[in-house]
Amino acid sequence: MVKVVVIGGGWAGCAAALAAQKAGGYVTVIEKTDMLLGLGNVGGIMRNNGRYTAAEEAIFLGAGELFNITDRAARHKNVNFPGHSHATLYDVTKVEPMVRQLLKEKGIRLLIQKRAVDVEMAGNRIKEVVLADDTTVSGDVFIETTGSTGPMGNCLKYGNGCVMCILRCPTFGPRISISLKTGVEDILGQRAAGSYGAFSGSCKLNKDSLGEEIVKQLNETGVCVIPVPPEDVKKEKLDMKVCQQYALKEFAENLVLLDTGHAKLMTPFYPLEKLRKIPGLERARYEDPYSGGRGNSIRYLSMAPRNNAMKVKGVDNLFCGGEKSGLFVGHTEAIITGSLAGHNSIRYCLGIPLLELPVNLASGDIIKYANERIKTPEGLKKRYTFSGAEYFERMKQKNLYTIDRDEIRKRVERVNLINIFNERLI
Amino acid sequence: MPEKKHECIDAGSEYCPCYLAEVNECITCSQLQGKSFCDCNWRGVCIYQEYVWAGNKSKALRKEYIGEVLERIPLTDDAMILKIRVTKTKARELKQPGSYIFLRDLKKPDFFNVPMSIMYADEIEGIIYVAVQILGIKTKAIQAVEDSIVIRGPYWNGLLGQRYIKQTFDSECLMILRGISQAPAILVINKLVSQRNQVKVIVDPGKIGKIFIYDFINKEKVEVIEQDFLSQEGWKKISTELSNKNLSLVYSGGSDKQHLEILTEMEKNNSNAYLVVTNNSEMCCGEGVCGSCSTKIDDNVTVKVCKVQLDVRKAIERRILQHG
Repeated sequence: MVKVVVIGGGWAGCAAALAAQKAGGYVTVIEKTDMLLGLGNVGGIMRNNGRYTAAEEAIFLGAGELFNITDRAARHKNVNFPGHSHATLYDVTKVEPMVRQLLKEKGIRLLIQKRAVDVEMAGNRIKEVVLADDTTVSGDVFIETTGSTGPMGNCLKYGNGCVMCILRCPTFGPRISISLKTGVEDILGQRAAGSYGAFSGSCKLNKDSLGEEIVKQLNETGVCVIPVPPEDVKKEKLDMKVCQQYALKEFAENLVLLDTGHAKLMTPFYPLEKLRKIPGLERARYEDPYSGGRGNSIRYLSMAPRNNAMKVKGVDNLFCGGEKSGLFVGHTEAIITGSLAGHNSIRYCLGIPLLELPVNLASGDIIKYANERIKTPEGLKKRYTFSGAEYFERMKQKNLYTIDRDEIRKRVERVNLINIFNERLI
Repeated sequence: MPEKKHECIDAGSEYCPCYLAEVNECITCSQLQGKSFCDCNWRGVCIYQEYVWAGNKSKALRKEYIGEVLERIPLTDDAMILKIRVTKTKARELKQPGSYIFLRDLKKPDFFNVPMSIMYADEIEGIIYVAVQILGIKTKAIQAVEDSIVIRGPYWNGLLGQRYIKQTFDSECLMILRGISQAPAILVINKLVSQRNQVKVIVDPGKIGKIFIYDFINKEKVEVIEQDFLSQEGWKKISTELSNKNLSLVYSGGSDKQHLEILTEMEKNNSNAYLVVTNNSEMCCGEGVCGSCSTKIDDNVTVKVCKVQLDVRKAIERRILQHG
């Protein structure tokens, strides 16, 4: 029996757990909060722009379960909003129980409200993970998907302080960089201005607090675009956000609201008083972060150096996925990198060659491209997502972007990887 | 390899962040150790946040105040219990196991401050009890105190392994006490009893020559046995008690040598019980500054045990090595 321990139960961790379980591992997921999915509990945007291609690739590669859930939990499909086409918006209030049930059905062991704080090493291998309650979890191979958000001190030093986001550090304790505990130094993302980290790119308003017209439009179309009073337009705010795919002037000149169960406001934060000057938002209040008028969580302060098979460099039996594995933005990116890490964890234990996704798939290309770019100073200031900014441009240039499912299937067939993530290796 | 983090007893209290934060020497927070990113030993609050919000300043230090000596209860020629009136708030702050204060005669300078474990605190009446054994210059000065006594506190790190006390409910506990160490055990006994534990206390009166805890505990709920540990027969009795597999918590009140013997015996028996011991370090300031309680735990790592909850085994072994 190969024992796989996944640290962090966000989208990447859940994907890694599923892939490792399907490949034959006995999988444990350690999650510090009381919910899986981490920031996925307040996200919701799938299949916009190149993410459509990537999601379909993942489905043909055999990692379709989580995309199936986000499709089933969709409130709106085929939504267009400034700079973005054919998005699916999943309902954030439905998706976590669905994922939790799936993982349980698969026999994955979930350690909820357990926080990993340290490692015990045997030479260059992790022997076990130490939890905050002094208990330990041993394994043959470990996958770190702890993300890069927070904790409070980082949000204070590089942001506007703890604004009470979904990760709830004051309640559940801080995220710990497991790779750093093994002795491998973290890589840090930078902002355009050179400061470290970046603000999360959106906040959520309580839908019941919005005007009737806005709610109606959101419920019917999934989108509502409201012009910002000219005196309140702040273009410099675009520089500080994580989600460069939404760092477009339309997002500075307008409030873009998306319906994900809450009203997702596509800006890192917006002072409540100014927000309430806008017709229809007179009663607006924040749902996430609770102090969304003040700031947002700070991310990208903790990436591990890795190879393109998602193995962390410098530790024999540690893999990584999601934001821990690079300057990635989004659920789709987390699910894809997590799936590869999970699958490869089993290959590693069996001593067979690790899988690298080929660059003629968007998934393989982004994993390799982000890894090259992270080594350059300017690359550390960028974010990598199928849905926009630098990487979506590259997808288009390399003809990787398509929404033709047959074409995507053919591409995966051509590289002989159909259903690879569904293959049992043990 | 990143260093292991220590647990500060004051973290999150009204005295945190303390002066150590101002000089990048915080025991808990990496940001307040001069590092650039978070890597703390989380104690339930963000000390950095508290510090920045207070305008990059530490909280006020503990102040000295005057207590009224209400009664001296002689134990022997060289030992007594002092009953001292303080405010109700001060008494309440000193109710948790491991609480201690510094005491000195009003007429003496600062360096006469002597650390003293709290034996009992009555927050309804605003009274605290301490047991003083006259051992040297500073305790002799306490003996000479008249009505008023200078108190500085509260401090809390008088025991190592405190969290085990907090987490033990509905279990069997064994407490092994010798001499004046009966005093700090009373807060522990009462706490364990309030958590519905079955508590057996074995006391060697030692130099004090008597058991003085009865008036401060619920005798019906605690089994107290007198036993001379230093005799072969006495130690055999302790060994038998320690071999009880149902024990969840063992408390040793006495010298470091006693702690070590108990720890060794527990390991011989493969005991799963947690061990809590009295912190026998010499303390002078209580604030992690002066260094009199410094204990070297690893090469080049010195820990101020007046504030740090050190691993019990590490603490005992190192102190025995250092002090013989």
